[in-house]
Amino acid sequence: MARFEAVYKETYGRITAYAARRCDSPQDAADVVADTFTVAWRRMDELPEGEQATLWLYGVARRVLANRRRTGRHRQERNVELDAELADLYGRRPDSGVELDAIARAFRDLPGDDRELLALVAWEGLDRAEIATVLGLTRNAVRVRLHRARKRFARALAEADVPLTTTRRLVPAERSR
Amino acid sequence: MNGMTKDMSDGMADDTAQDLTRDMTRGGRDVEALTRALARVEPGAPGADPSGAGARTLLASIVTAPATEDPLTADPLTADPLTADPLAADPVTAAPGAGRPVAWRSLRRRGLGRLAAGLAVAAALAGGFVVGPSLLGGGGGATPSYAVTKDDHGVVTIQVRDFSDADGLRRRLEELGVPAIVDHVPLGKRCERPRTQYVQDVPRGLYSTPENIPDETGGWQMRIDTRLFRPGETFVWTIGEGGTSTILMKDPVGPCEFVPDRPPLKEVDGVGMRLATTKGGSLAGHRVDEKTVGEVMPEIRKRGLKVTFMVMSGPDGLGERYLQARTSPLATVGDDWVVWDAMDVREGEVWLCVSKQRYDRNPLFGGPRDAVIKD
Repeated sequence: MARFEAVYKETYGRITAYAARRCDSPQDAADVVADTFTVAWRRMDELPEGEQATLWLYGVARRVLANRRRTGRHRQERNVELDAELADLYGRRPDSGVELDAIARAFRDLPGDDRELLALVAWEGLDRAEIATVLGLTRNAVRVRLHRARKRFARALAEADVPLTTTRRLVPAERSR
Repeated sequence: MNGMTKDMSDGMADDTAQDLTRDMTRGGRDVEALTRALARVEPGAPGADPSGAGARTLLASIVTAPATEDPLTADPLTADPLTADPLAADPVTAAPGAGRPVAWRSLRRRGLGRLAAGLAVAAALAGGFVVGPSLLGGGGGATPSYAVTKDDHGVVTIQVRDFSDADGLRRRLEELGVPAIVDHVPLGKRCERPRTQYVQDVPRGLYSTPENIPDETGGWQMRIDTRLFRPGETFVWTIGEGGTSTILMKDPVGPCEFVPDRPPLKEVDGVGMRLATTKGGSLAGHRVDEKTVGEVMPEIRKRGLKVTFMVMSGPDGLGERYLQARTSPLATVGDDWVVWDAMDVREGEVWLCVSKQRYDRNPLFGGPRDAVIKD
């Protein structure tokens, strides 16, 4: 119990961010967060120590998400406060412009595996070894698939006429804060 | 990047777009930067705060949710404590880090089989004894056999005090809009299985874990959300001297045909589990219930037994049957923890059911061990 609580507190921020980045609504994200930690609690004996716990939880969250998409299953109990706290994350959306929409569309149209690979790098900041752990792949497989995913995304962007210089303005790293 | 900084308002020529493709593919950095721009929660930034009310409520609900939808099942072997697992419906799912797909069911068997058996045993103890009429003191009297209340939202609380009147209970449930079949099962018997299929995806919140009736020692109560019943599913109850079971099954449910029940606490899951402190057990003659771990361990060491701790949690150790098998006692279980009883799992190995806090009642028996076990 004490250990679970510690892991929960330690990873909660990252798991909620993971879910919010991938779910269209705060309610969906809340469900994914709840289901992910429920699985973790049930499978405490499998939960690895330290930083590996976060990777393990990303892996669980990914499968929870995939399961939901496939089965359309939703939780029936609503935790209103949780919904609200996750809804806060949805307000932070960077200003959407035509260009960003085009990028988003191109990204959405990628195969799901491509999206997840690109997202784990860009959003969660994982390296190849960490992604290999999350996805249960070899590092080499990650390297190859990531390369292909990047290529496909770049091609889709080019086809969508996304101009590079304009989009650069939208990159958070280059915005003044 | 030369040539890319000119005015973009006139659109991009095809060759420029191809340059762009090449450029971005080469480094991957631009692709990454564009992906980063799409992040709802900025890369590197945390999402929600674990100290928020929603986060704390979620934590509390996870650690107190029932492990099994059928805590009082009459059949420990078919009770599946992981039924409510969100991943249970996933036929092929990879264990993170395992590097290869593992069938969930086999994973469950491999990793959790023993744990599940432990849960079931604890549930069997609770089911067999907590609600047994031996604790009822005649059952009934001034209080009605089946008191019920129904709130505005269709949630029913039913209190069961009489374990012989199956018809009465069935009528009560029917009045409340609960599609139920109730059979009375004499001691030493059980219904032949299978009567039908069990519902695997029991709606969340359909019914609560049975709990004690406040200020009473006999009987129990549970809450049922009558709105959540789906067509084609029936709540199947058995009541009787041997215990109570409440299982959601698919229609049509076959009649209960009595067959001899196996003796309680023996040959569960084929490992011959039984109370270690009863006659013939590995701790025979040595009571451990309600002692501390520190008090019990010397005797266990003296007898050369291997120990696994089954940790009981929740406000009263009952209801929340998240037992966790721990093989490293010193790391997690303190000398001052409370032992509720021991079980023989196999030759030379016992499970000690323990909890960190001392409960008012022994959670394995719903009261003093002496009221249930006659040595």
